[in-house]
Amino acid sequence: MTTLPAPAGPSSLRRIGALATAETRLLARNRTAVVNSVLMPLLLVGFVAVVGGDGMLGVDLLVAAAGFTLVFLTYYNLVTTYVARREDLVLQRMRTGELTDAEVLAGTAAPTLLVTAVQIGLVAVGVAVLGRWTAPVDLLLPVLAVLLGAVVMVVLATASTVFTRTPESAQITTLPVVMGATALSGLFFPLSVLPEGLATVARLLPLTPVVELLQLGVAGRTWNGEVVAGAELWWAALAPLGVLLAWTAIAGFATARWFRWAPRR
Amino acid sequence: MPAPGRRQRQGCAREERPDPGRRAHRGGRRDPSVAPAPPSPATSRRVPPPAAAPPAVEVVDLHRRYGDFAAVRGVSFDVRPGEVSALLGVNGAGKTSALEVLEGLAPASGGTVRVLGTDPRRERAAVRRHLGVQLQTSGLPGDLTVAETVRTWAGTLTAPRPVDEALAQVDLTGRADVRVRSLSGGERRRLDLALALLGRPRVLVLDEPTTGLDPESRRTVWGLVRGLVDDGAAVVLTTHHLEEAEELADRIAVMRAGRIVLAGTREEIAESQPATIRFTLDDGAPQPPVPADVEVVGAGPRVEWHTRALQPVLAALLAWAAEHGVVLRGLQARAASLEQAFLAVADAD
Repeated sequence: MTTLPAPAGPSSLRRIGALATAETRLLARNRTAVVNSVLMPLLLVGFVAVVGGDGMLGVDLLVAAAGFTLVFLTYYNLVTTYVARREDLVLQRMRTGELTDAEVLAGTAAPTLLVTAVQIGLVAVGVAVLGRWTAPVDLLLPVLAVLLGAVVMVVLATASTVFTRTPESAQITTLPVVMGATALSGLFFPLSVLPEGLATVARLLPLTPVVELLQLGVAGRTWNGEVVAGAELWWAALAPLGVLLAWTAIAGFATARWFRWAPRR
Repeated sequence: MPAPGRRQRQGCAREERPDPGRRAHRGGRRDPSVAPAPPSPATSRRVPPPAAAPPAVEVVDLHRRYGDFAAVRGVSFDVRPGEVSALLGVNGAGKTSALEVLEGLAPASGGTVRVLGTDPRRERAAVRRHLGVQLQTSGLPGDLTVAETVRTWAGTLTAPRPVDEALAQVDLTGRADVRVRSLSGGERRRLDLALALLGRPRVLVLDEPTTGLDPESRRTVWGLVRGLVDDGAAVVLTTHHLEEAEELADRIAVMRAGRIVLAGTREEIAESQPATIRFTLDDGAPQPPVPADVEVVGAGPRVEWHTRALQPVLAALLAWAAEHGVVLRGLQARAASLEQAFLAVADAD
């Protein structure tokens, strides 16, 4: 076997950057998408400002905004984007160059992740402007929650493309995550009202640990309503962190095993 | 667009084509263990590849299955640096399925594929930098401009050509700021080619590179491919156009139903089919005796013979006609063409 000379090419980061720049430019040229991504968080904040009574804390809004954004924007948008790019043979063509598979997926996800960050940031600013901001108990946990949450949503999206044939059918195939996981995430009602068995199942769903970690970090509140601090805070964070890592591993494995880069013929 | 001078050079190159030294070098399927006869330096059109150069592409007994359907059933060929190999065949013959394995996009169900001595799928990172690929469908987002598309692709490559040069190569300089969506089919195909050439590849895999191109653009593409081959690149291409295979390819393989049914130089392939002699006899003229080695396809006043010994059969026919004072109206004698050979095998059951 001959060994090929391997001159130093662009770094992985530079390659992803090149692709991400192009993808972001494409997003910016899609006026509907731009308007939607700014309008959504404004509506959310406006809704709270108008109808949210004094009982609604700003931090709860921030947790809810982060959870919804991760599912409805990051996850759903990425499923449709990956499927559309696959069916348009864009993914296949990206693979004919020096980009690795992971770089193609990362570069394609970049604008969606950017909009996710901007939306959560806008809601945070909105909450502050409304005067409902309270300093989080722990700064690292919410950041970790959003970052890990985004990673889980990306791999769940790549795994979901396996059983999604067209961008339109994503409306159906994303329902288990969009409806199921969101309904039982603790965003709509505290999981402590559920029977113990069901609560445990709910805590194993992919979005629940994100919400748990956010509530822990922002308000120091565990899933069943206890208020903790210090070492106990991080002790309580271990379970949701573990669940997130497990989902990343499972969806990552499914992606590596079954992801299709070209349309079925 | 090639400068006038460049086109001139191509014109000369084409006239030089049927040189005996080159032919000998191109001859037939070679055993990879046997060094090919070096081309005669005086007549060689191209930089002669070193005699010991290993094949840039080696395909041995390649199989590819989709579930129960076998798309590729035992295909073997190799391409050396400085050579063009064309896969010809009707749609569904398995050409693209075979290429996808070379491109590292799909696993082989059986057999081995080596590109620059490397498995293009398992050792993709090593081979990618040297591989230029033009897929059959371009797969480019419509809302980027031509220049943005090329710049993006260049940003992912180790040693890209300058963007301006890449656009000039395929005559798209004037279209740099046009969205890909607005390009004509031919312009898009040329953009695909520019991207395939952008990383200065040593191995080029082109899946129907000129489909949808007008004759002028097609010649531009041929010129570009020849330029790369002159610099030592190995090229594998598929095509429906016999003319393209004749123009570009050192070796041609005709695929049918997943197999190579005919392979060799275009002359060798043409020779696989008999030559044709046609003439019409006047009323009352005697029938000529049928020489050995002739298959009579049409008798009666309009005669058609097929033979693998055109010259002696024709000589005998003319001698007979002269001796008996018979006029052979509309006499035609023609060696088989690549097209005839292709039609005979490509679509046969």
